[in-house]
This record gives sequence, structure tokens and C-alpha cells, in this order.
Amino acid sequence: MSEFDLELVRLSKTYPGGAVAVREFDLQVKQGEFVSFVGPSGCGKTTTLRMIAGLESVTSGHIKIRGEDVTTVPTEKRPTSTIFQNYAIFPHMTVSQNIEFGLKVRNLATNVIDRKVGEILEKLDLSEVASAKEESLSGGQKQRLALARSLVIEPEILLLDEPLGALDANLRKSIQEELKLLQRSLNITFVFVTHAQSEALSLSDRVVVMNAGAVEQISEPLELYTRPQTPFTARFIGSNLIFPGKLQSTAEGNASVHTSTGQFEGIPVFEAGTLSKGADASVVVPSEFVDVTVSSDRQETSSPIGLEGTLIDIDFVGRDAHLSIALKDETPLRLQSDATVMKSRNLVPGEAVDLRWQTNRATVVSGHT
Amino acid sequence: MYHLNGLRWTLGIFTALFLVFLYGPFVVMTILSFQQGPEGGPQFPIIEWSTFWYQHVLSIAEPSRVAPLPIGEALIRSLTLAFATMVVSTLLGTLSAQAFRQNFKGSGVVFYLIVLGMMVPGVLLGLGMALVADQFDIARTWWGTAFVLHVVYTFPFSFLVMLAIFNRFDKSLEEASWMLGVDPVKTFRKITFPMIFPGVLSSMLFAFTLSYDEFPRTLFTGGSEATMPIAIYGTFAVEIHPNLFAFGVLTTLASFALLTIYGVLMALSVRRAKIQSSGLQEEIA
Ligand SMILES: Nc1ncnc2c1ncn2[C@@H]1O[C@H](COP(=O)(O)OP(=O)(O)O)[C@@H](O)[C@H]1O
Ligand SMILES: [Mg+2]
Repeated sequence: MSEFDLELVRLSKTYPGGAVAVREFDLQVKQGEFVSFVGPSGCGKTTTLRMIAGLESVTSGHIKIRGEDVTTVPTEKRPTSTIFQNYAIFPHMTVSQNIEFGLKVRNLATNVIDRKVGEILEKLDLSEVASAKEESLSGGQKQRLALARSLVIEPEILLLDEPLGALDANLRKSIQEELKLLQRSLNITFVFVTHAQSEALSLSDRVVVMNAGAVEQISEPLELYTRPQTPFTARFIGSNLIFPGKLQSTAEGNASVHTSTGQFEGIPVFEAGTLSKGADASVVVPSEFVDVTVSSDRQETSSPIGLEGTLIDIDFVGRDAHLSIALKDETPLRLQSDATVMKSRNLVPGEAVDLRWQTNRATVVSGHT
Repeated sequence: MYHLNGLRWTLGIFTALFLVFLYGPFVVMTILSFQQGPEGGPQFPIIEWSTFWYQHVLSIAEPSRVAPLPIGEALIRSLTLAFATMVVSTLLGTLSAQAFRQNFKGSGVVFYLIVLGMMVPGVLLGLGMALVADQFDIARTWWGTAFVLHVVYTFPFSFLVMLAIFNRFDKSLEEASWMLGVDPVKTFRKITFPMIFPGVLSSMLFAFTLSYDEFPRTLFTGGSEATMPIAIYGTFAVEIHPNLFAFGVLTTLASFALLTIYGVLMALSVRRAKIQSSGLQEEIA
């Protein structure tokens, strides 16, 4: 018995046409973990998920479930269940029949099947539409039916491919919460695919960031946010200021980087191994940690200034403030910050502003893109 | 506006002519089938309206000098042949269309080889088959050599119909079934088949009607026991009586009945599909 529910070992996929969709994917998922794959469209998320489900053949590498190699096991014999992006509800069956379908091939007594169906209908609030067909279900109900159908067969791992993609924003939010609660209460391992980074960050225990078929970074959401390891992750996750430059020195885990915007000193390095002197490197500052104040309010006691610039524009979007700033050397910056704090700063477009952050909030990653 | 009117007239006349040519023969045939018998012939005017020729066809008329149509056994043969062709052709069509859902090596060539069956002129195919059969001492029979050619002829139609159906089929439904632990065979029975049923129905109708009135292939390969179209053609050689028309009306009515059944079944499953696709649009919107 393995300590992992799911293991991917150098998993790769090349489609017959020659398109490399997934390369050397390594991942270990613990029982009950909620893992998300996130990345731009076409980066190989669906392909990876389909390989885990057994719906797509593996070009090389292995898939193990609870220590058992299932790489060549057909879909119907794997202890996984999938929620498809379009839900794939059987249109010629009622809600109950959809749910029963997977149970009926399992040699269960009729009363056991009935009880299980009843329970899951109840749990997912589908009892009232039990005898309805797909055509009369709302988007949310279809989504819950897909969940019910998959969960009733008690899979060890549930695979979800952008299951909230077809829902409107409000419904999305509330179903996100439900999904998280459901996963906690059932203690089933979830592998969740999404291209929306906010969804991945708010739901998961760990997030796998993918780019062009390869894993960029696997981290807990907060760490991904505050400590991106590659420029791609820094760009894709959250809202970061990114300054490309050259690494000048690394001493005791602190880097000094020269960029066109200026010299950055004493920045923590988290992947020292890949960084060498004189190499391309980027300084990443999560925009949440950047404070913006009007330069004319500057006082003796103010902490050291990170950067100076001119405010071009400021927009308030709900709880966020979107700032557009031109640095001294004309480099344009976009910044997302807390609306309440920014309101209190009395910022007016056209004014000179100071940008400050704590040095240890920034990080250095290798490369420029 | 003036041009548009001109166009409208042209189209109107064209449509009217089309309808006349389509239904004219049937109307004439129907009228003449009520000719007086047994003296009345297959031409106007109608001497007296009667149902004599219908009774004649059904062998309940008074015996007369007009011999009964030699169609009793031919009809049974044709129906049997059409039924067998329908079953085999639809089965083959479904299976081969299913195979074409994946792109396999040489699929292009195989596609044209199948479709060739409906492109090659029937006379050539019938003649060729007859020569081959004689060469190898194979008896020419309606249930052997002719049956094979009927399937070769109707199979491409079934195949194309099923191919079109599978093209619109949502593969994730099957995948959903597999992932629920249902094996591919049961998945086909419970999920795929109900979804492709309208196609199966169309394929059956095509194959049945094409085989039922197939002439050139059967003429050369059917042997001595004639099928319906051959038997009817045989009667032209002697003397034509309105009993042939009465028989024509009866078979046409039978065809209509078949079409009605098809229409009803189709409407039922299309309604289901329509609701399905409108549900899908709602989802996308
Ligand atoms: N059936 C297929 N045949 C060939 N290429 C495919 C197929 N499915 C996906 N791809 C390619 O593989 C890459 C990854 O696709 P996919 O896994 O669907 O990405 P994602 O789900 O992250 O958007 C894309 O470049 C896509 O074009
Ligand atoms: Mg995808």
C-alpha cells in the first residue's frame, strides 16, 4: 500500500499527429488531497486528466493509484470517476436513472441501490427533480447530477475538468464553496482542472501550474502566490510586478539583481540551485505587498522607497483598486491593490507616487519569460 | 421587384411540373385500376367504375380468361430478400461507421471502396457477378448471388447514414458510461444505441426500399426464381391488364404505411434530440 492515492511518474503524451501535449509530468497526491491543474488553454491539463481516467493512451511514463500501476488498465476498471466539462448527462434517462446506471453493473441488491440513490439525491439537493430528464434541468442541477452520478459509485479519486466553466459567475461562486465542503466531508481525493487561477487558489490544497505541457511549479496556493518559482508562474498567478534583469550576486540566500528599472538588493532566493551569477533573472513583487503613496506626503519617518513613478490611472473594481503607473524610466506598471487602503491615500492621476514594499516580500526567479 | 416576380413564376411552374411528373403516373394508375373487368383494358375511358381488378389481385374474383398475376411467391421472395438485406446492411453499416470514428491507416481507401458499391452501374455489377458465378459453378439464386449484390448496393447507404449520425454523436456520453464502470459492450447497448437509433431507422428504410425494387443486379444474378420487379417486368411481355395497376396501388399504399411508421418513430426520437440540443444551447449561452 502506497502512501499516495495518485502518482504520476514521468507521464508524457504525444498525439498521433506529433503534438506533444504533456511532457515528463511528475506528481504525488495524498489521500483526501484537493489538487488543481491550472494553466492557459492548450497547456495539457485535459490530456493529463484523461490519461489518469484511462480515456487517453499514455505515450510514456506511469500512472499509479494507491501504489498499483494502472497505466494500461481500461477506464471502466479504474477507481476514478470523471466530471466532464459538458457534464455528459445521459439525455434519454431521468436523473435517478443517470445515478443508478453505474450502480446497476455492480451486482448490488435493489434495495441497496435504491437507498444509495436516495441518499445522494438528498445530499445534492436533487430529490425534487429525480424523475426529470436533462432537458428540464438548470445548469447548476446538471452540474450536481454529474457529481451525484460520479460520487455514488464511491470512487477513490474524482477527476473534474473545468466543471464550473459553463455556469454563470454567481452560481460559480456558491458551487465552489459546496464543492470544497463536499470534498472535505467525503474525504475523496480531487484532481481539479481549471484555467481560472483564482478558482484553483481558493479551492485547492496544492496547485500544479502547467505551461506548454510541462509542470512549472507545484505549491500550496499561498506559496504559489508569494513565492513563484518561475517568471511564467509569476505572470500567470496573481498580480505581480516583474522586473527582468541580471543576477549580480547571491550571498546567504540573498540576491542582488540589476534591472533597467534599478538595482534590487537583498532579495530572498528560493531556488538558488538554478541561479548563477550574470544569468538572466527577474525580480517578482506581488502587487498586494506594494504600498502606494503620494510623493508630496513623504515624511522623514517613511520607510525606504522601492520605486518612484507617476500615477496614470486608478480604477475601483469592487474590493480591488487597479492602478496604472509609469515609472521614472517610463516603464508602465499595472498594480492591483486593496480598494479601501488606496481610497485613503487620496491618489490623483498625474501625481508623483512612491512604491514601497518589504524587501523580503520580493523574490528572484531565473530567466525572463 | 419585377424580376423577383418573374423568378417566382418560373419556380412555381417548375414545382408544378415536378409534382405532375412525380404524382401523375400514380394518379393515372390509380384511376385505371378501377376499370371495369374483366373486359376493360389499361386505357381510357373508364367503361365503368369497379373494384374487379383488386379482387383479381387478391384472387377473390370470379375466374376469367385473365390469368392471375404471377406474383404470390415473387412477393414473398422480395420481402424476404429486402428484410435480410435491411438487417445485414444496417448491421454492417453501423459497425463500419463505428470503425471510422477513429482515424485508422488507409481509412480513406476503405471509404471509397465501400462507397463504390453504390456508384458502380448495377447492370455491370450484375453481369460481372453472373460471369464470376458461372465461372466458379456457383448457382445463381435470389437468396445467394443476388442477396450479396443487394448488400453491396445498400451497405454504402447505411454506412453513410450511420457515419453522419456518429459525426454528431457526443463521445463523452460513452466515456461517462465507461468511467462509471460499465464495459464497452453494455455501454453500446444502453447509451450509444438509443442515441443513434434515428440513424439505424433511416438506414433500415433505405436498405429495405432499395432492395425491394432492385432490378438490374437481380435480373442477372437472381436465377430462375423471380423477385417482384422481375416478375412484373415479365408480365409486360404478354398482355397488360389493370390488375397490375391495382397491385401497384396496393404496394404503394403499403410503402406509405411503412413511411408513416418511420415518420412517427423518427418524430419521437427527433423531438428528444431537439430538446437535447436546445438544452445544450442554453448551457452555452
Ligand atoms: N485529440 C487530439 N489530437 C491531437 N492533438 C490534441 C488532441 N487533444 C488535444 N490536443 C493538443 O494537445 C494540447 C493540449 O490540449 P489539452 O490537454 O486539451 O489542453 P488544456 O485542457 O490545457 O486546454 C493542445 O495543443 C491541443 O491542441
Ligand atoms: Mg481542457
